Amino acid sequence: MMRLKRRALLLEPPASATSDIAFNLIVFFLVCASVQPDTGREQLIPKVDEQKEKSRQSQNIEVSLTPKIIIVNGEPVPLEKLSSRLASLLAGKNKPEDKVVLVKSDQATPYQRWIQVTGLVESAGGTITLRLEETKSTTVN
Amino acid sequence: MKIPRLKLEASVPAVAMGDIAFLLLIFLFILARTNDTSHIRWKPATAPTVKSASVAVAEVAIDADRKLFLNGRNIGVASLGTELTRILGDRPAGQRAVHLKVDLRTPAQYFEPAIEAISSAGGELVHILEEEKTAP
Repeated sequence: MMRLKRRALLLEPPASATSDIAFNLIVFFLVCASVQPDTGREQLIPKVDEQKEKSRQSQNIEVSLTPKIIIVNGEPVPLEKLSSRLASLLAGKNKPEDKVVLVKSDQATPYQRWIQVTGLVESAGGTITLRLEETKSTTVN
Repeated sequence: MKIPRLKLEASVPAVAMGDIAFLLLIFLFILARTNDTSHIRWKPATAPTVKSASVAVAEVAIDADRKLFLNGRNIGVASLGTELTRILGDRPAGQRAVHLKVDLRTPAQYFEPAIEAISSAGGELVHILEEEKTAP
C-alpha cells in the first residue's frame, strides 16, 4: 500500500511582514504614551445668588491667603494646623450652605499654595467660594 | 507565430490590508485630538491625592508667561466666560467638565478670574495636577 505524505504546514510568519509588524508596534506604543490621561482634582465652586451671598457672608468661615500667611476668621493659623482648625469650625454645621468657606487670596498667592490650602479646606468638609476683589476703573477727563 | 504578451497583475496584497487599516485608524485617532496644547509651557502643581480626570469639553490653560489659553488658543480673560458658555451650551450636568491647567507659580490675580469664569459659565472645574512624590 502506498503511503501518502502529509504536506508540512508553514507556521512561521512571512519574513517580509516583520518590519511592518515592528513599525505598527512602535506607532501603537508611541500613541499610547502620548495619550496618557490627565490626573487632577475636581472642585465644586457653587454659583451663588448675590443677595443671598451678601446676607450669609458674615456667617461663613473666611480664609485669607497670602504667599506666607493663612488667616482663618481673622486669626493666623499655621498650615499644619489648618485642617484641624477648619474641621472644628465646620463640626456643628450640617447644611451645605453653612459649609461654604470664603477664600480670599492675595493677588501674589501662587497657584501651588492655593491648591494646597483649598485641598485642605475641602478635605475638612468645606465648600470653596472665591471672594474676588472688584476693580473699578474710572476715567477722569 | 504570435507570442502572447505577459499579463501583469496589479492587485494589492491582501496581507497588507490589516496594516493599512490599522495605520489609518491611528492617523484618524490622532487627528481627532484637535485641541493640541503641546505649545503651552506649564508646570503642574502637585497634590497628595489626584484622580484620573474625566473627558473635558474645554481646556483652559495659563502658561508660565501668564498667558491665558482656551483649547490651545490665546484668549483674553474678559471673553473667557462668554466663549465657555458657548462651548458648554446646554450639556447636562456631568458632561460639562472643564480642565484647568495652571503653571504652579502663577499668581492669584491671573488664575482666580479664570476659575470664576469657568464657574459662572456652569463648567465643572477640574484642576489638572500631578501627584506629590514622596521621598523613599
